[in-house]
Amino acid sequence: MNIDESLRQALARKAPPAGFRGRVFQGMAAAQRRRPLSRWRAAAAVLLVGGALGGFAVHRIEQQRQGERARAQVMLAFQIASQKAHYAREEVRDISRSQSR
Amino acid sequence: MTASLTQAAVPERTALDRARDGDTDAFAQIVEEHEAMVFSIAYHFFGDRSMGEEIAQDVFLQLFRRLHDIESGAHLLFWLRKVATRRCIDEMRRKRPRGVSLDAAVEVGTTVPNADPLLDRQLRRLVAELPEAQRVVITLRYQEDLDPSEICDIVGMPVNTVKSHLHRGIAALRKKLGDAS
Repeated sequence: MNIDESLRQALARKAPPAGFRGRVFQGMAAAQRRRPLSRWRAAAAVLLVGGALGGFAVHRIEQQRQGERARAQVMLAFQIASQKAHYAREEVRDISRSQSR
Repeated sequence: MTASLTQAAVPERTALDRARDGDTDAFAQIVEEHEAMVFSIAYHFFGDRSMGEEIAQDVFLQLFRRLHDIESGAHLLFWLRKVATRRCIDEMRRKRPRGVSLDAAVEVGTTVPNADPLLDRQLRRLVAELPEAQRVVITLRYQEDLDPSEICDIVGMPVNTVKSHLHRGIAALRKKLGDAS
Protein backbone atom coordinates (compact mmCIF):
# COMPACT_ATOMS: atom_id res chain seq x y z
CA MET A 1 0.00 0.00 0.00
CA ASN A 2 1.26 3.47 -0.88
CA ILE A 3 0.42 5.26 2.33
CA ASP A 4 1.27 8.70 0.94
CA GLU A 5 -1.27 8.33 -1.86
CA SER A 6 -3.82 6.79 0.47
CA LEU A 7 -3.46 9.71 2.88
CA ARG A 8 -3.81 12.23 0.05
CA GLN A 9 -7.07 10.60 -0.95
CA ALA A 10 -8.37 10.21 2.59
CA LEU A 11 -7.48 13.79 3.54
CA ALA A 12 -8.66 15.47 0.33
CA ARG A 13 -10.63 18.66 0.94
CA LYS A 14 -14.31 18.26 1.71
CA ALA A 15 -17.13 20.73 1.19
CA PRO A 16 -18.73 22.01 4.39
CA PRO A 17 -22.36 21.12 5.09
CA ALA A 18 -25.09 22.83 3.08
CA GLY A 19 -25.94 26.34 4.26
CA PHE A 20 -22.49 26.95 5.73
CA ARG A 21 -22.00 30.30 4.04
CA GLY A 22 -25.39 31.54 5.21
CA ARG A 23 -24.50 30.62 8.80
CA VAL A 24 -21.17 32.47 8.50
CA PHE A 25 -23.04 35.62 7.48
CA GLN A 26 -25.59 35.16 10.27
CA GLY A 27 -22.66 34.97 12.72
CA MET A 28 -21.19 38.16 11.23
CA ALA A 29 -24.51 39.99 11.58
CA ALA A 30 -24.86 38.86 15.20
CA ALA A 31 -21.30 39.99 15.97
CA GLN A 32 -22.06 43.41 14.41
CA ARG A 33 -25.15 43.81 16.60
CA ARG A 34 -23.14 42.94 19.71
CA ARG A 35 -20.49 45.59 18.99
CA PRO A 36 -20.68 47.79 22.09
CA LEU A 37 -19.37 51.25 21.20
CA SER A 38 -19.48 53.50 18.20
CA ARG A 39 -16.30 55.37 17.32
CA TRP A 40 -17.51 58.59 18.93
CA ARG A 41 -18.58 56.93 22.14
CA ALA A 42 -15.25 55.08 22.28
CA ALA A 43 -13.39 58.39 21.83
CA ALA A 44 -15.44 60.02 24.60
CA ALA A 45 -14.70 57.08 26.90
CA VAL A 46 -10.97 57.40 26.18
CA LEU A 47 -11.08 61.15 26.97
CA LEU A 48 -12.92 60.58 30.26
CA VAL A 49 -10.53 57.87 31.38
CA GLY A 50 -7.56 59.95 30.24
CA GLY A 51 -8.87 62.97 32.15
CA ALA A 52 -9.38 60.93 35.31
CA LEU A 53 -5.91 59.41 35.06
CA GLY A 54 -4.41 62.83 34.34
CA GLY A 55 -6.14 64.34 37.38
CA PHE A 56 -4.88 61.50 39.54
CA ALA A 57 -1.35 62.06 38.24
CA VAL A 58 -1.50 65.81 39.07
CA HIS A 59 -2.73 64.96 42.57
CA ARG A 60 0.17 62.54 43.06
CA ILE A 61 2.70 65.15 41.90
CA GLU A 62 1.24 67.71 44.32
CA GLN A 63 1.41 65.18 47.14
CA GLN A 64 5.01 64.49 46.29
CA ARG A 65 5.85 68.25 46.34
CA GLN A 66 4.15 68.67 49.71
CA GLY A 67 6.19 65.77 51.01
CA GLU A 68 9.38 67.36 49.76
CA ARG A 69 8.49 70.71 51.32
CA ALA A 70 7.82 69.03 54.68
CA ARG A 71 11.12 67.19 54.47
CA ALA A 72 12.99 70.43 53.75
CA GLN A 73 11.34 72.08 56.78
CA VAL A 74 12.36 69.19 59.02
CA MET A 75 15.95 69.40 57.74
CA LEU A 76 16.00 73.17 58.39
CA ALA A 77 14.67 72.61 61.93
CA PHE A 78 17.47 70.06 62.55
CA GLN A 79 20.05 72.56 61.25
CA ILE A 80 18.73 75.35 63.47
CA ALA A 81 18.59 73.07 66.49
CA SER A 82 22.11 71.84 65.77
CA GLN A 83 23.43 75.43 65.49
CA LYS A 84 21.71 76.43 68.73
CA ALA A 85 23.23 73.44 70.47
CA HIS A 86 26.66 74.46 69.15
CA TYR A 87 26.23 78.05 70.45
CA ALA A 88 25.04 76.71 73.80
CA ARG A 89 28.17 74.53 74.11
CA GLU A 90 30.39 77.52 73.21
CA GLU A 91 28.71 79.65 75.87
CA VAL A 92 29.14 76.99 78.54
CA ARG A 93 32.83 76.69 77.61
CA ASP A 94 33.28 80.50 77.87
CA ILE A 95 31.57 80.56 81.25
CA SER A 96 33.65 77.73 82.62
CA ARG A 97 36.88 79.38 81.35
CA SER A 98 35.99 82.71 83.00
CA GLN A 99 35.16 80.96 86.28
CA SER A 100 38.45 79.06 86.34
CA ARG A 101 40.49 82.32 86.20
CA MET B 1 7.39 65.73 -31.13
CA THR B 2 4.91 65.55 -28.43
CA ALA B 3 5.10 62.75 -26.01
CA SER B 4 2.11 60.54 -26.22
CA LEU B 5 0.43 59.86 -23.01
CA THR B 6 -0.48 56.29 -22.51
CA GLN B 7 -3.09 55.44 -20.01
CA ALA B 8 -1.66 53.05 -17.44
CA ALA B 9 -3.70 49.91 -17.13
CA VAL B 10 -5.77 50.03 -13.99
CA PRO B 11 -5.32 46.77 -12.16
CA GLU B 12 -8.56 44.97 -11.50
CA ARG B 13 -9.54 45.16 -7.86
CA THR B 14 -9.41 41.80 -6.18
CA ALA B 15 -12.17 40.36 -4.04
CA LEU B 16 -9.90 41.05 -1.06
CA ASP B 17 -9.63 44.76 -1.94
CA ARG B 18 -13.39 45.03 -2.35
CA ALA B 19 -14.10 43.08 0.83
CA ARG B 20 -11.84 45.46 2.77
CA ASP B 21 -14.02 48.29 1.51
CA GLY B 22 -17.10 46.61 2.97
CA ASP B 23 -18.33 44.72 -0.10
CA THR B 24 -20.10 41.71 1.43
CA ASP B 25 -20.48 39.99 -1.95
CA ALA B 26 -16.71 40.10 -2.27
CA PHE B 27 -16.36 38.60 1.22
CA ALA B 28 -18.83 35.88 0.26
CA GLN B 29 -16.62 35.14 -2.75
CA ILE B 30 -13.61 34.77 -0.43
CA VAL B 31 -15.57 32.42 1.84
CA GLU B 32 -16.69 30.34 -1.14
CA GLU B 33 -13.13 30.07 -2.42
CA HIS B 34 -11.63 28.93 0.88
CA GLU B 35 -14.44 27.25 2.86
CA ALA B 36 -13.48 23.71 1.82
CA MET B 37 -9.89 24.21 2.90
CA VAL B 38 -10.73 25.70 6.29
CA PHE B 39 -13.55 23.25 7.01
CA SER B 40 -11.41 20.27 6.01
CA ILE B 41 -8.48 21.24 8.25
CA ALA B 42 -10.86 21.23 11.22
CA TYR B 43 -12.85 18.20 10.04
CA HIS B 44 -9.74 16.07 9.59
CA PHE B 45 -8.32 17.25 12.90
CA PHE B 46 -11.39 16.26 14.91
CA GLY B 47 -12.93 13.65 12.62
CA ASP B 48 -16.23 15.39 13.31
CA ARG B 49 -18.27 17.41 10.83
CA SER B 50 -20.00 19.65 13.36
CA MET B 51 -16.70 20.59 14.98
CA GLY B 52 -15.31 21.25 11.52
CA GLU B 53 -18.16 23.65 10.79
CA GLU B 54 -17.94 25.36 14.17
CA ILE B 55 -14.22 26.03 13.80
CA ALA B 56 -14.57 27.12 10.18
CA GLN B 57 -17.30 29.63 11.07
CA ASP B 58 -15.12 31.10 13.82
CA VAL B 59 -12.19 31.42 11.44
CA PHE B 60 -14.22 33.34 8.85
CA LEU B 61 -15.74 35.56 11.51
CA GLN B 62 -12.23 36.35 12.68
CA LEU B 63 -11.20 37.03 9.08
CA PHE B 64 -14.07 39.49 8.68
CA ARG B 65 -12.78 41.44 11.70
CA ARG B 66 -9.16 41.32 10.54
CA LEU B 67 -9.52 41.96 6.79
CA HIS B 68 -7.39 45.06 6.97
CA ASP B 69 -4.46 43.02 8.30
CA ILE B 70 -4.44 40.80 5.21
CA GLU B 71 -1.94 42.06 2.67
CA SER B 72 -2.45 39.81 -0.35
CA GLY B 73 -4.03 36.62 -1.69
CA ALA B 74 -1.00 34.59 -0.64
CA HIS B 75 -1.09 36.12 2.83
CA LEU B 76 -4.80 35.30 3.06
CA LEU B 77 -4.12 31.64 2.32
CA PHE B 78 -1.34 31.52 4.91
CA TRP B 79 -3.47 33.35 7.47
CA LEU B 80 -6.46 31.02 7.02
CA ARG B 81 -4.34 27.89 7.36
CA LYS B 82 -2.55 29.26 10.40
CA VAL B 83 -5.67 30.45 12.21
CA ALA B 84 -7.62 27.28 11.42
CA THR B 85 -4.76 25.11 12.71
CA ARG B 86 -4.22 27.14 15.87
CA ARG B 87 -7.96 27.25 16.52
CA CYS B 88 -8.13 23.43 16.30
CA ILE B 89 -5.27 23.04 18.77
CA ASP B 90 -6.78 25.57 21.19
CA GLU B 91 -10.16 23.87 21.04
CA MET B 92 -8.57 20.48 21.58
CA ARG B 93 -6.81 21.73 24.70
CA ARG B 94 -9.88 23.55 25.95
CA LYS B 95 -12.24 20.62 26.05
CA ARG B 96 -12.41 16.92 25.52
CA PRO B 97 -12.98 16.10 21.87
CA ARG B 98 -16.50 14.95 21.03
CA GLY B 99 -15.21 11.71 19.64
CA VAL B 100 -14.54 10.63 16.14
CA SER B 101 -17.59 10.38 13.94
CA LEU B 102 -17.40 8.84 10.53
CA ASP B 103 -19.68 11.36 8.82
CA ALA B 104 -19.37 11.16 5.10
CA ALA B 105 -18.64 14.68 3.92
CA VAL B 106 -18.79 15.56 0.25
CA GLU B 107 -15.47 15.51 -1.57
CA VAL B 108 -14.58 18.67 -3.38
CA GLY B 109 -12.77 18.84 -6.68
CA THR B 110 -12.09 15.12 -7.04
CA THR B 111 -12.46 13.80 -10.53
CA VAL B 112 -11.63 10.19 -9.70
CA PRO B 113 -13.75 8.35 -7.18
CA ASN B 114 -11.79 7.07 -4.20
CA ALA B 115 -10.51 3.60 -4.82
CA ASP B 116 -11.19 2.42 -1.30
CA PRO B 117 -13.71 4.47 0.67
CA LEU B 118 -13.43 2.12 3.67
CA LEU B 119 -9.67 2.69 3.81
CA ASP B 120 -10.28 6.42 3.51
CA ARG B 121 -12.62 6.40 6.50
CA GLN B 122 -10.23 4.22 8.49
CA LEU B 123 -7.30 6.52 7.74
CA ARG B 124 -9.30 9.62 8.66
CA ARG B 125 -10.28 8.01 11.95
CA LEU B 126 -6.69 6.99 12.69
CA VAL B 127 -5.38 10.47 11.84
CA ALA B 128 -7.94 12.02 14.20
CA GLU B 129 -6.64 9.75 16.97
CA LEU B 130 -2.99 10.80 16.59
CA PRO B 131 -1.36 13.19 19.08
CA GLU B 132 -2.29 16.75 18.12
CA ALA B 133 1.09 17.80 16.73
CA GLN B 134 1.33 14.75 14.45
CA ARG B 135 -2.30 15.18 13.43
CA VAL B 136 -1.83 18.80 12.42
CA VAL B 137 1.36 18.18 10.51
CA ILE B 138 -0.05 15.20 8.60
CA THR B 139 -3.25 17.09 7.74
CA LEU B 140 -1.31 20.06 6.36
CA ARG B 141 1.09 17.78 4.49
CA TYR B 142 -1.47 15.59 2.78
CA GLN B 143 -4.56 17.79 2.59
CA GLU B 144 -2.75 20.96 1.57
CA ASP B 145 0.30 19.37 -0.04
CA LEU B 146 2.64 21.59 1.96
CA ASP B 147 6.26 20.71 2.59
CA PRO B 148 7.82 20.86 6.07
CA SER B 149 9.35 24.33 5.50
CA GLU B 150 5.86 25.71 4.76
CA ILE B 151 4.23 23.80 7.61
CA CYS B 152 6.73 25.07 10.19
CA ASP B 153 5.71 28.70 9.51
CA ILE B 154 2.05 27.85 10.00
CA VAL B 155 2.41 25.85 13.21
CA GLY B 156 5.29 27.84 14.69
CA MET B 157 7.65 24.88 15.14
CA PRO B 158 11.21 24.38 13.91
CA VAL B 159 11.37 22.51 10.60
CA ASN B 160 13.17 19.50 12.13
CA THR B 161 10.39 19.18 14.72
CA VAL B 162 7.83 19.19 11.92
CA LYS B 163 9.76 16.46 10.10
CA SER B 164 9.97 14.43 13.27
CA HIS B 165 6.21 14.68 13.87
CA LEU B 166 5.56 13.73 10.25
CA HIS B 167 7.83 10.73 10.45
CA ARG B 168 6.39 9.51 13.74
CA GLY B 169 2.82 10.08 12.61
CA ILE B 170 3.29 8.06 9.41
CA ALA B 171 5.02 5.29 11.37
CA ALA B 172 2.12 5.19 13.84
CA LEU B 173 -0.43 5.02 11.03
CA ARG B 174 1.47 2.21 9.28
CA LYS B 175 1.60 0.26 12.53
CA LYS B 176 -2.11 0.73 13.26
CA LEU B 177 -3.05 -0.24 9.71
CA GLY B 178 -0.79 -3.26 9.98
CA ASP B 179 -2.30 -4.25 13.33
CA ALA B 180 -5.80 -3.88 11.91
CA SER B 181 -5.22 -6.05 8.84
